[in-house]
Amino acid sequence: MDAPIRILLTKPTHDCHDRGVRYLMRVLRDAGFEVVFTNFLVSDDVLSAALQEDVDVIGISSSAGGHMPVFEELMDGLREREMTDVLVIGGGIIADSDAVRLREMGVGEIFGPGGSPADIEAFIRQHVRRQPGVAVR
Amino acid sequence: MFSEETLVSSRRLAAEWERNYQKMVDRFGENAPTRARAPETHSGLPIKNAYFPHDIEDLDLGVMGAPGSYPFTRGNLAAQHQLMSWANQPVIGYGLPEHTRARMDFLESQGMAGYFGQTFYNLVYDLVSHEGLDPDHPGARGRSGQCGMAVYNVRDMDRLFKGLDLRRINAIHITYYQVIPALAQYIVLGEQRGLRPDELRGNSMNWYHQAAYVGMSAFPADQGLKLSAELISYCSKHMPRWNTTNIVGYCLEEAGGTAVQEIGVMLAVGRDLARACIAAGVKPDDFLPRIGFQFAQANDFFEEIAKIRAMRRIWATTMHEEFGARDPKSMNVRIHTHTSGAVLTAQQPLVNLIRTSIHALGAALSGTQAMEVSAYDEALAIPSEEAATLSLRVQQVIEEETNVCAVSDPLAGSYYVESLTDRVAKAAMKVADEIEQMGGFVEAQKAGWIRAEVERSSERWREMVNSGERRIVGLNCHVVEEPEQPEIFKVDPEVQRIAIERIQELRETRDQTRHAAAMERFEEEVARFAKAELQDLGNDRLMEAAIDAARAEASTGEMMAVMKAHLGWGAPHEF
Repeated sequence: MDAPIRILLTKPTHDCHDRGVRYLMRVLRDAGFEVVFTNFLVSDDVLSAALQEDVDVIGISSSAGGHMPVFEELMDGLREREMTDVLVIGGGIIADSDAVRLREMGVGEIFGPGGSPADIEAFIRQHVRRQPGVAVR
Repeated sequence: MFSEETLVSSRRLAAEWERNYQKMVDRFGENAPTRARAPETHSGLPIKNAYFPHDIEDLDLGVMGAPGSYPFTRGNLAAQHQLMSWANQPVIGYGLPEHTRARMDFLESQGMAGYFGQTFYNLVYDLVSHEGLDPDHPGARGRSGQCGMAVYNVRDMDRLFKGLDLRRINAIHITYYQVIPALAQYIVLGEQRGLRPDELRGNSMNWYHQAAYVGMSAFPADQGLKLSAELISYCSKHMPRWNTTNIVGYCLEEAGGTAVQEIGVMLAVGRDLARACIAAGVKPDDFLPRIGFQFAQANDFFEEIAKIRAMRRIWATTMHEEFGARDPKSMNVRIHTHTSGAVLTAQQPLVNLIRTSIHALGAALSGTQAMEVSAYDEALAIPSEEAATLSLRVQQVIEEETNVCAVSDPLAGSYYVESLTDRVAKAAMKVADEIEQMGGFVEAQKAGWIRAEVERSSERWREMVNSGERRIVGLNCHVVEEPEQPEIFKVDPEVQRIAIERIQELRETRDQTRHAAAMERFEEEVARFAKAELQDLGNDRLMEAAIDAARAEASTGEMMAVMKAHLGWGAPHEF
């Protein structure tokens, strides 16, 4: 049997809108994933948590804006560390036009408000641990 | 409240209704919806399908009171909205101070009005300020002017309030834990314009308590309570017109809590705060009148109204009986309504206007003092000018066109509303008393209890939405293919560059010697404060040192760095 899929769910320290991501954490745990939840100030915090926890998936939740630089730095950082097999997804209040750019950058998918946790779970199962990963698409 | 004869008739009528009702429900069999068989409120309180006089037989007129009399269930004042309607308080804040100012002026031109000819500006600071950083910190990248205004020091405040007479406005500063630096800077702005602190009107949030249920980095709970008391102590002496604290139930309901939890926790916060201020040497009648309250107005129309009426009752009785409040103002719950943002949808966004209109009507019927109506595009982005205007129009239509402002507490006497008010009040008291048994709000926060309770409610709600038991138009029913996302509002990327330029200019041009001396003194006071007990407070030395630092043009980021270092800073609701 494969080792359980490990997921880092993280949101900015100053973003109070954590209701969705914390619910998602529970759903994913119930579905058998190992989930770590953290807050981050800068993208390096996300990278070091991902490294330390050796995760397969990074999920960034952002509902207060200012997400583009975080994703940019994170994707660059993953490439530099050759962690391109890590699947990155995002959620929260992210404009459709930003989502298009993020997918071009290699982010797997952006899930908006009201999105179904079941869809997120299915997406992860379908795309996780693919070599090369979604991150270098 | 009713004669024996009336109660007998009431029971007879209820029995007759019950028979007829049951016949109808039986015809539907399994197809009868839950609300027909086992109705409950969104908080999960069981309710009935029809109400009769005997449902409120225990309610005595003394408990109900009149509008303006103890225990104020029916309203703080004899007149509710007849002479002056509620204040329009849309949340404003994005981009540079100049951008925010343009929106303030625009909304004022659209009729945004406060009390007595004063304009109320409900101003939110940006993510960088909330985090306690300066805009050139690496953690600020992409966040200047996002979700709030890029105001970090006295010069920025001067840009924001340029040409406005501060005595003629009410400036509401929506800050999180940078509340002391922001108030200090506003006091100094007043000084620069020849005004004493007691001439300033406005509000500080003093929101340390929300760390129990909101997931932003925060000071430790014990330090937060002391910081609240420090600000209140200073203002009780120097700023009698300043609203020092906003007990924020809104964020609790938005985080997934119920109406019952919202007001139960608000009362628990009030108890802790009252004890802290008394320990710091401030008398209840000297600080309670300047405490305000912020409620969510969400989807269960009658429960949300009952919640407001219940809160007025339990707050008044608790402050009077437990803390010896005498002044009616000390017992009043002055309400700022924020219509719920969490129940709005990104799907079919214009439908949100219908939701917020219903919320706002509920707030008007429950006797609110001030209102923010969420914008219909809030689930997509920062509100556009059009959306912000329509939110103001919602308030204006209710005020001008519906005649609901003619009568105080118009739902009083409704068997359902009175019965539900009583139910909600009792259930909320149970929450507050449970917290009391844990040693008070701060202890319950540190034990993780409040967060866990809120999260449990949030999950219950979500499961009900997933199963379709709780219906949301556009999300799990009446779903349509969504058209391409409409044009949404974005903050000009130039904001960050200019904000950085300005903070660097400030550092180069301010009086360095004076700044260094003021920061040294501030650090000494913060270090002393970190070790102080509640009963050591009341000398206002921390506030005075913060004001002195603001005079020396210290930025929010600089002051917060010192506070974080000495008081502690980290993940919320755990320490």
